[in-house]
Amino acid sequence: MKKSDFLLEINVQELPVSYIRPALEQLCRDFLKVLDEFNIEYDKKENLVSAGTKDRLLFYIKDVSAKQKDSCREIIGPPKRIAFDEKGKITKQGAGFAKAQGVEPEDLRVKTTQRGEYLFIEKKTKGRDTRDVLREIIPGIIEGMRFPKTMKWDDSGLRFARPVESVLVLFGKDKLEIKLGKVLSKKVESIEPKAYLRRVSKETLLDPDNRKNKIRKLILKAISSLGADRHIDEALLEEVNFLVDWPGVFVGEFDKKFLTLPEEVLRVSMAKHQRVFPVSKKGRLLNKFIAITNGRSLDIRAVKKNYEKILEARLQDSLFFFDEDTKKPFTENLRQLKDLIFQKDLGSMFEKTQRLKTLSFFVCEKLGLEGSLKKDIERAAELSKTDLVTHMVGEFPSLQGVMGGAYALKAGETPETAAAIKEHYLPHGTEDMLPKSLAGSILAVSDKMDNIVGFLGMGVEVSGSFDPFGIRRNAQGLIQVIKNKSLRLKTDEFIEHSIGLYGDKLKLPSSELKARVTGYIEDRIDFLAGDIRPLELKKAVLNTGCLDIVDAFNRLGELSSISGRRDFLEAAKVVERTSNILKGAKEKVPEDVDEELLREELERAVWKVYAGSKNRIEGLIEKEDYVSATREYADAFYKVLHEFFDNVLVNVDEEAVRLNRLALMKKINKLYSDRIADLALIPQIVVK
Amino acid sequence: MEKLTFVEVISKLNDFWSGQGCTLVQPLDAEVGAGTFHPATFFKSLGPESWKTAYVQPSRRPTDGRYADNPLRMQFYYQYQVLVKPTPLDIKETYLKSLSALGVDTKKHEVRFVEDDWESPTLGASGLGWEVWLDSLEITQFTYFQQIGGKELDKISCEITYGLERVCMFIQNKFNVFELEWQGGVTYGELHTKHEIEYSKYNFDEADIDMHLRLFESFEKEAKALAERGLVYPAYSFVLKASHVFNVLDARGAVSQNERPRYIGRIRALAKLCAELYLTK
Repeated sequence: MKKSDFLLEINVQELPVSYIRPALEQLCRDFLKVLDEFNIEYDKKENLVSAGTKDRLLFYIKDVSAKQKDSCREIIGPPKRIAFDEKGKITKQGAGFAKAQGVEPEDLRVKTTQRGEYLFIEKKTKGRDTRDVLREIIPGIIEGMRFPKTMKWDDSGLRFARPVESVLVLFGKDKLEIKLGKVLSKKVESIEPKAYLRRVSKETLLDPDNRKNKIRKLILKAISSLGADRHIDEALLEEVNFLVDWPGVFVGEFDKKFLTLPEEVLRVSMAKHQRVFPVSKKGRLLNKFIAITNGRSLDIRAVKKNYEKILEARLQDSLFFFDEDTKKPFTENLRQLKDLIFQKDLGSMFEKTQRLKTLSFFVCEKLGLEGSLKKDIERAAELSKTDLVTHMVGEFPSLQGVMGGAYALKAGETPETAAAIKEHYLPHGTEDMLPKSLAGSILAVSDKMDNIVGFLGMGVEVSGSFDPFGIRRNAQGLIQVIKNKSLRLKTDEFIEHSIGLYGDKLKLPSSELKARVTGYIEDRIDFLAGDIRPLELKKAVLNTGCLDIVDAFNRLGELSSISGRRDFLEAAKVVERTSNILKGAKEKVPEDVDEELLREELERAVWKVYAGSKNRIEGLIEKEDYVSATREYADAFYKVLHEFFDNVLVNVDEEAVRLNRLALMKKINKLYSDRIADLALIPQIVVK
Repeated sequence: MEKLTFVEVISKLNDFWSGQGCTLVQPLDAEVGAGTFHPATFFKSLGPESWKTAYVQPSRRPTDGRYADNPLRMQFYYQYQVLVKPTPLDIKETYLKSLSALGVDTKKHEVRFVEDDWESPTLGASGLGWEVWLDSLEITQFTYFQQIGGKELDKISCEITYGLERVCMFIQNKFNVFELEWQGGVTYGELHTKHEIEYSKYNFDEADIDMHLRLFESFEKEAKALAERGLVYPAYSFVLKASHVFNVLDARGAVSQNERPRYIGRIRALAKLCAELYLTK
């Protein structure tokens, strides 16, 4: 069959950098899927090009058949007994089927199926011209492309990430016109796909990976020429890769006097504001940068001069701020915090730092921390927000904390205090870095708890995407930091203490607020625990309590690691059976067992087992060895309880005996479900 | 490159955009943060009718004041605003031609369109587009409006906002705004430095917080009352006043990060009210 090459080019106004790779993948995947669906053959994968730049998405595929494959399909009609009468003459129904399918009655055939004899026809469809099919399917593929954000630019209703300027569809020697909103077909003279691809490749580096390699080489060459560290900011490289389509390079320079600025400030100015690469030698920044340029007609000398002057103007600005900020003692900013509102109903930033001081002191006490570390943390809490009134943070809000740390160090505070200030906003999201230092971690959890309690205390609700105060981020950060540093805190005490520090500022009554904060933190633990199997295990563990966040994660981890084991299933069975029988109890079950009332030998045996193993199991729980505790529990109770249930009736008529037996069941149940997990929540426990 | 003065840049842009069919209007006589606040943009971008306009809009952003010490940033500056509705597909090319008209050789210098999703939370306005970088200096904000006054738009306007100082810096090759030539040897600094220093002091250190808090409440009340009486333009003028008072409070450090959303929400509600009223008339 005749074959031709195919090319689709979407010319679009500059796309957001992060959209381009996913768009190319989607275009390629969807296109091949549709070709398969429509029975159009093509040269499998080899010689396929899916490439693009900031303003061009291109898809090329070799040897696509000029026609769809012919297809043949069976269509089943009415049963034979309805379609033909006893004499074998066609009935109204039979003729109707033939007519509806556009065939003569002679063409009807009979087929034996499981349900009897039925009429059927073979419907042959001639393969259509590929060009017709393409014209039909391409608009749908383009309209179906998904982006994080789309827009309209005219009133055609078409949405895309940025305005589509034109589309070009080439098939063999033909240029195909397609109907897509008001988008026009690109004006090119007759040209074949391959030749067009060659032509485009001469003016742009189309392939993202090739282009990235080329840029990497340019940067490394520049690094070599400077004798600098061979380090490349990969995120910036990926970004720049989609800002340029014909990369060039130059090394720029700035006045050495700016090197007195904190590194973070220099890096932000270069990488974020100008998208140029900072350069360091032996880990220290040089007064140089590497810029990747776009286009080949540039006057590089003039461009370079502008880049340098613009960077220096920005750095001049930062230097001015830095000098201003460090002119006066850093601690003097403390006073200004009294005028800085944390939140209208929650008082000033100064008050916040006072609360943080007390709250982090409380955390230190609970963790048994003493001495200089405790002093450093207290000091860090006091100074934690002072950088908010500095010029530098006014200019670069993202440097809050970072600048506080740098200024504290310059002001002679201890490195531990400086580190704690620097790290206390971390993490900024679930994927972000966590505080490295213990001091930073303690300050971080105190700050986050103070935020959560304050905002929820004002009556703010978090729902779905609506979280203007970042309560979700704070709660998740709190949990992550606690887990990461194994901070053994009782969440309820922590919450209570934090609420107390707000005095009468909060709208919600403390008991209600405490329940809300606890509930919200539990909800976030559930979220952060991720995909744990069996699914119900998460609920079973969290229902038992997450007052100690570290312990909750330990229990989750240990139990899910043995959830396939026999002893786990046996333990679960014990909890399930005792739980079921307790559910049926109509009266209040007493807490204690009366030995006098144990009549049957089997129930006395169960009681003996309980009395004999209780301390050992609780000991293991104390040691947080949940794997061994589960094994001991299963070993102790599974068999004997099995026998017990087979032979002893719990719900006897005599009330005292009945309640005593239930009390025994309750003891056994609670020994596990109160401390480790309520395994009765796991459905269909089968011990094989 | 011919070194145009500040005044010449404005007049070249006026010539260029009126040549493109834009009606040249005069600046709004009120304190606003950007050219978008001008009724010629805010209201005119709402309905279905075609509209092309261009104008200079002196703008104030109190938090951006730097006591005239910063070479790139001021609390008072000039925007050159262009609004075109509906948006022709070649609008980007037309924009590049406007740079050529200013004597910028866009082949020799690097022009980048860097993703920037523009948003004015106080106006309930948002759009998609870019910052335009000329040799890494941001000189223009280029936006396709999607929403104005909280209303999803059917007819899309394209807004092109030149930072006039930035454009001049590039053209005059002076990266300090105060050294720019305004006209006939007079510098930008001679005309603006004192103003800039005093307003920075005022915004950051002197503005009476209590008075501004009271003003905000009064302006909000007046805007609502006027809207109820169907007076769109006067109501809107009080929205702008409330917005500016909020910006001063913000600069004065009287509004915390956590409180900002609420103030902004209140202004947005007023802006929405005005947009709805404008459309029903």
